[in-house]
Amino acid sequence: MTASDSSVAAVMAGPAGHRGWRARLAAWRVPLSVLILCLLPWVLPSQALAVNVLIYGLVAVGYNLLFGYTGLLSFGHAAFFGTGAYVTGIMIGKFGLPWYAAVALGVIAGSALAFVIGLLSIRTRGIYFSMVTLALSQLVYYVALQASSLTGGENGLRGFTVAKIDLFGWTVDFLDPLKKYYVLMVFAAAALWLVSRILNSPFGAVIEAIRENETRARACGYDVERSKLIAFTLSGLICALAGTLSALHLAIVPLDILHYQTSGMIVMMTLLGGAGSFFGPFVGALAFLLMEDVVSLWTSHWQIVVGSVFILFVLFLPKGIWGTALAWRAGR
Amino acid sequence: MSVPLLAVENIGRRFGGFVALEGVTASFEPNKVTAIIGPNGAGKSTFFNVLSGVLAPSSGSIRFKGSDITGTPQHRFAHLGIARSYQITNIFPELSVHENVRVAAQAFRSRYDIWRNRAAMTELDDKADAALAAVGLTSRRGTTAKFLAHGQQRALEIAIALVADPELLLLDEPTAGMGPEETKDMVALLERLAAGRTILLVEHKMKMILGLSDRILVLHHGRLIADGSPQHIQTDPEVRRVYLGQNHGYA
Amino acid sequence: MDAELIAMQLFSGVALGAILIMVALGLSIIFGMLGVVNFAHGALFMIGAYAGLWVASLTGSFWWGLLIAPIAIGAFGMLIERFLIRPLYKRSIDDPLLLTFGLGYVLVEAVRIVFGSDGIPFQTPPELAGVADLGIGFFPIYRLFVVAVVAVILVLLWLGLEKTKFGLIVRAGAKDPQIMRVLGVDISKVWLLVFGLGIGLTALGGVLAAPMRNVNPEMGSLVLAEAFVVTVIGGMGSLVGAVVAGLLVGVAISMTALFAPEMATIVMFALMALVLLVRPHGLFGKPVRG
Repeated sequence: MTASDSSVAAVMAGPAGHRGWRARLAAWRVPLSVLILCLLPWVLPSQALAVNVLIYGLVAVGYNLLFGYTGLLSFGHAAFFGTGAYVTGIMIGKFGLPWYAAVALGVIAGSALAFVIGLLSIRTRGIYFSMVTLALSQLVYYVALQASSLTGGENGLRGFTVAKIDLFGWTVDFLDPLKKYYVLMVFAAAALWLVSRILNSPFGAVIEAIRENETRARACGYDVERSKLIAFTLSGLICALAGTLSALHLAIVPLDILHYQTSGMIVMMTLLGGAGSFFGPFVGALAFLLMEDVVSLWTSHWQIVVGSVFILFVLFLPKGIWGTALAWRAGR
Repeated sequence: MSVPLLAVENIGRRFGGFVALEGVTASFEPNKVTAIIGPNGAGKSTFFNVLSGVLAPSSGSIRFKGSDITGTPQHRFAHLGIARSYQITNIFPELSVHENVRVAAQAFRSRYDIWRNRAAMTELDDKADAALAAVGLTSRRGTTAKFLAHGQQRALEIAIALVADPELLLLDEPTAGMGPEETKDMVALLERLAAGRTILLVEHKMKMILGLSDRILVLHHGRLIADGSPQHIQTDPEVRRVYLGQNHGYA
Repeated sequence: MDAELIAMQLFSGVALGAILIMVALGLSIIFGMLGVVNFAHGALFMIGAYAGLWVASLTGSFWWGLLIAPIAIGAFGMLIERFLIRPLYKRSIDDPLLLTFGLGYVLVEAVRIVFGSDGIPFQTPPELAGVADLGIGFFPIYRLFVVAVVAVILVLLWLGLEKTKFGLIVRAGAKDPQIMRVLGVDISKVWLLVFGLGIGLTALGGVLAAPMRNVNPEMGSLVLAEAFVVTVIGGMGSLVGAVVAGLLVGVAISMTALFAPEMATIVMFALMALVLLVRPHGLFGKPVRG
């Protein structure tokens, strides 16, 4: 784990007022991210890829709040991503709600689920946690599979295409991929800003302390269990938001979005990019999706390549692409 | 007659069938240094863990400043005014020395605020720097904690406990793993800290304890077998038997 | 409700539970000794099934498959421990878990490449086909066989754990090299054998399950979740817990399938959630803090 950008910033901004390049980067991370996201559709080979990077990057950012910063390896985050997507789709498709209400409800539902799953899983001892989160989120998968009148079961949820978005008097043609991208990007940017605030806040220091040494954090006077639950819920909130964006983008919600394979993919993206850093998750999502795109050009078995790369990263590059780059730069 | 700062009555602690502590009763006046000694397995760590809230006693009670705190969850102890350091260094390895102490100080100001920028809380920087100065780590302020030498990490342990501004400081083998030079530095630090604070420490180094403590408690097989001044303890026949029998002398 | 139907469904649950016990025991043994949660456990179950199928098709006999596959896959497991997992013990406790997850990913895709994505039916060996009349009902002979094999394995395991030095070490569950040295044991050999044993057990589960399920690359994914549920209910690191919880879950799934088939899989997760609420360390697990 690398020391986070914010703690580095705090150190760098010592009494002499000296701020190194990392601190400057940390201070501008949100505007920088937004700028990069704005440019993404123009820089990447396809707009479809850009939207996916946007959505999965956001999931990874939300996940990273729990994994990279709090140190809890959850294997069940697909439940929140998927619930955000399903609730959004159901609200639009079956209840005819306007898109913004559906998004709000999707986020609320995902966060509430995160709170409940967090409550059940945090009471387990360290290494159990990963198993329990996987199993509990798999429960959600099977419930969705069975509740097919509501969710579409195995075939997924369909029939809730959003064609126009009314935003403060403007009408945006949501079927235009580029316009859709920028609308979704507004939400992602807002979420990134929220995450940045959380990381810079006193609570941000608490979760890092818990990651570093839970026992010591408790002895210092922090209610570790309650803090973990808050981090878990916030993490679920961001992932649920990403889920709502996914639903709006695809106009379908596949059942597999709830399967633990999706949770595993989120873990892989986060690790590939670099857990515990702000830009890492987006780098990881980009790397993962690019790999998938490129490798599937010559084989349909891209998963074996991605899986092998992941194994290599765990063995030799545990800090991920961005994390390793940061550490290397700091070492020079 | 003033209320003792800390009073334990008939403390017992079992682990399944194993009795780690039994019938320990003692009270501690403020502003004194008390050492807890005993052979390995005597129950010192368990006693410490009970006093710092890591374990709840199986029987008996703990009173702090007159209030019953038995069974209070561990994370409330720091807020009561009880802070501890650990025998095996327990710091935040990837955070800087300054951050280590700052986050400890933050526990008394803000634990759940997800909005405010914590860099603006400059009073925490001041408190952290003061604690670092007290233990002599100011020059290592920006170093990542895992890169500190062992003795410096032990000092950081103390700084983290200190920044809580505790009335009662529980120190578990503060000189663990230290050579004679480092031990001397630590003893000097402890003497400075003892002014105006109540300190309980577990230690093995007899010479150090005899010089530092106002009072010594001796545990053996989970029971309190002696309680008194250093002079009294040195001449107590029971203590001599336990220590000579165990071939225990200077650590 | 027909008593005979209930008896048969109950027995079906026991047979299902027997398979779960194999998988969960393997998982628990590996965790107890090495502190590693093997996320490739489901994939290796699936590979055991494929290995059994492949050997059986080569030799024309299910029995060779039953004998050779678990041993071969167990040996494969030892290679995994030696070269992929051992380098990670010194690092964070999550790293071996992450690696095994990636490994499971790779193994499933490798099987897809070699055997294709469609399932392969595995015929019940003719010697074990059919039903036996046990008075209270007609029970499939193959399932009787599965329960018998698992019972024998459990007895052998128990003997091994109680009576041998190796078993003493496994029961102590220590990853601590100090204790190993005191016992005069080469700890890296212990790691190898324990991991191999754990994988061998799950592979055996896979071979046994093959005639009962469609052999396909995805068959391990539900099994992994099932193994986790059983382990949480039984208590991590507790071998007795794995057995009791395995039976409990198997019977619960089977009986629920009788009354409300769509709830069958969900019921085991609900059981797990209940255990988490009431006794987070599992039925036979050790409590977390004093």
